[in-house]
Amino acid sequence: MNTLAGLALRLGKMLLQAAAIVVLVFLLARVVPGDTVDVLATQGDLTDAQQQVMRHELGLDRSIGAQLLAWSSAALAGDFGESIRFRRPVAGMLATALPTTLRFAGMSFVVGLVIAFGLAVMAATSGSRRTTALIDAVNIWSIAFPTFCVGVLGILVFSVWLGWLPVLGSMVLPVLIVGIDSAGQIVKPLYEELREATAAAHVRTARAKGLHPLRVVVVHLLPTALPIALTLSGLVLAGLVAGTLTMEVLFGLPGMGSLLLNAIHGRDYPVIQATIVVIAVALVVINALTDILHRLIDPRVTA
Amino acid sequence: MSLALTSATRLDRRSDRPPVTVVVAGLLVAAIVVVAAVAPAIAPYDPLDQDLLALNQAPSAAHWLGTDHIGRDVLSRLLVGTRTTLLIGVGGAAIASLIGGGIGLVALALGRVADTLVFGAVDLVRALPPILLALLLVVALGAGVGSVAIALGLSFAPFFAYVARAAYRREMAQDYVVAARTFGGGPLHVLGLHVLPNLAGALITQAAIVLPRCIVTESVLSFLGLGSSPDAPTWGRMVADSSRYIEIAPHAILAPVIAIVVLTASLSLIGDDLRHRLDPLRHARGAAGPEPQP
Repeated sequence: MNTLAGLALRLGKMLLQAAAIVVLVFLLARVVPGDTVDVLATQGDLTDAQQQVMRHELGLDRSIGAQLLAWSSAALAGDFGESIRFRRPVAGMLATALPTTLRFAGMSFVVGLVIAFGLAVMAATSGSRRTTALIDAVNIWSIAFPTFCVGVLGILVFSVWLGWLPVLGSMVLPVLIVGIDSAGQIVKPLYEELREATAAAHVRTARAKGLHPLRVVVVHLLPTALPIALTLSGLVLAGLVAGTLTMEVLFGLPGMGSLLLNAIHGRDYPVIQATIVVIAVALVVINALTDILHRLIDPRVTA
Repeated sequence: MSLALTSATRLDRRSDRPPVTVVVAGLLVAAIVVVAAVAPAIAPYDPLDQDLLALNQAPSAAHWLGTDHIGRDVLSRLLVGTRTTLLIGVGGAAIASLIGGGIGLVALALGRVADTLVFGAVDLVRALPPILLALLLVVALGAGVGSVAIALGLSFAPFFAYVARAAYRREMAQDYVVAARTFGGGPLHVLGLHVLPNLAGALITQAAIVLPRCIVTESVLSFLGLGSSPDAPTWGRMVADSSRYIEIAPHAILAPVIAIVVLTASLSLIGDDLRHRLDPLRHARGAAGPEPQP
């Protein structure tokens, strides 16, 4: 298959996935017994007639298909409706929360990649036992210790017992926790790939020529590992969702996770719907982009 | 478990003994299962009973693990919570393997059109990370042990569909399957009688890998206030309840956190060991490969 058709196909899949997410989230939010007006009616006295008027104004008396279309087309234009609880545009709330989450997820992502690459390169080039043991340790750590448990323990140790305040509102601890967790998920396959790459003839030649070790790593080793690094980065991103969600709540960071949780507790369906759609669609787009990049870097990839 | 071990000896010629860590993990899990079975009988107090004269008490002779912010006995909640936590985790993994494996296999057996349709749909659902899908499903289904288990089951089902597909394609190429089809065996006959028994290993391995993730996801959901109802305490819920009192009653949060870590770490070790023993595809990084953990 030629490159262009492959790209078009991948983009088409991305759009389908995004549409499926919108439909799924929309339908699931409608399964919940009671609609927006019912929620409002429990908060203040509303007569049946008033409820009817509100339903009509909010478009809740139309068919689900019509509501879905109306919501999707408005969302495409950046309008996610109004929060039930705060009577504010949801888009504005998302815009306030998004930078915190992007910063948090971005920093955790970078920390994770730096740790994973650092360890994998060190172990692959030096072959030291201690570094491979460290790789195993980080890997087991990320499998065995759920991030939110580590978060609780971290608060306990650093804030309560050692008194190194302030832990709440600070990103240092949660970024480290999620970063190490992400590193643990990818460091092993990355190391295995790099170890194979160091055995390749061109790397041996480069070494034998007496090139500077750093040059060997950067020019000859890392390019080989780029495709797998991309694939693994996609995995890390999906894993970041859970980490970000719980860490924001645990450490009181005002991002998308906190927004979503508050919305769930307040049964603020427009906000729940918009938050999940935005997170999920962002992931779908990022995954498509990594796939396309992968395809461009590594011409062997066709699927 | 016994099925897994018999096929292990068959598939794995090395048939080496499990490492000490895995044996210890197995003993810990066994102990936790026993606790879950007898919890109400050995719990010193009613896990829901509040003693308002004994709030946030440190561990003592009367309350071995202390009390929480509304005077409930932490040890009793931990013991009784073991049952709910395990029930939801195992239930979720079981539902996921039945739905994912079942739908995947039937679609595969029915031919190319069903295969394309079903796996197309699975691919689309897969775009949502399990934690988000589970969260959404719990919001839609309402709180409760059953709905959380169903939510987890549906969220993790795609992994089983992929594993089933990989194993199915491998088996269908085998001579014995080709022979059975040559002699006129229908798709469902071949699937049920010939292929399924050989897929069991792959599905059991996947279940062992997904189980700790179900337990972690349940505790994350509970921690976010979306888990079971208040009268069925789980470990995650205990963490959530006590998180605001971490400074005055660290014991109330430490106990469930340690319990979660011990259980998930043990299960992960066992699952990892099983995968190395059972999965002949272990070198192919397929659907069972590295997958982010909540």
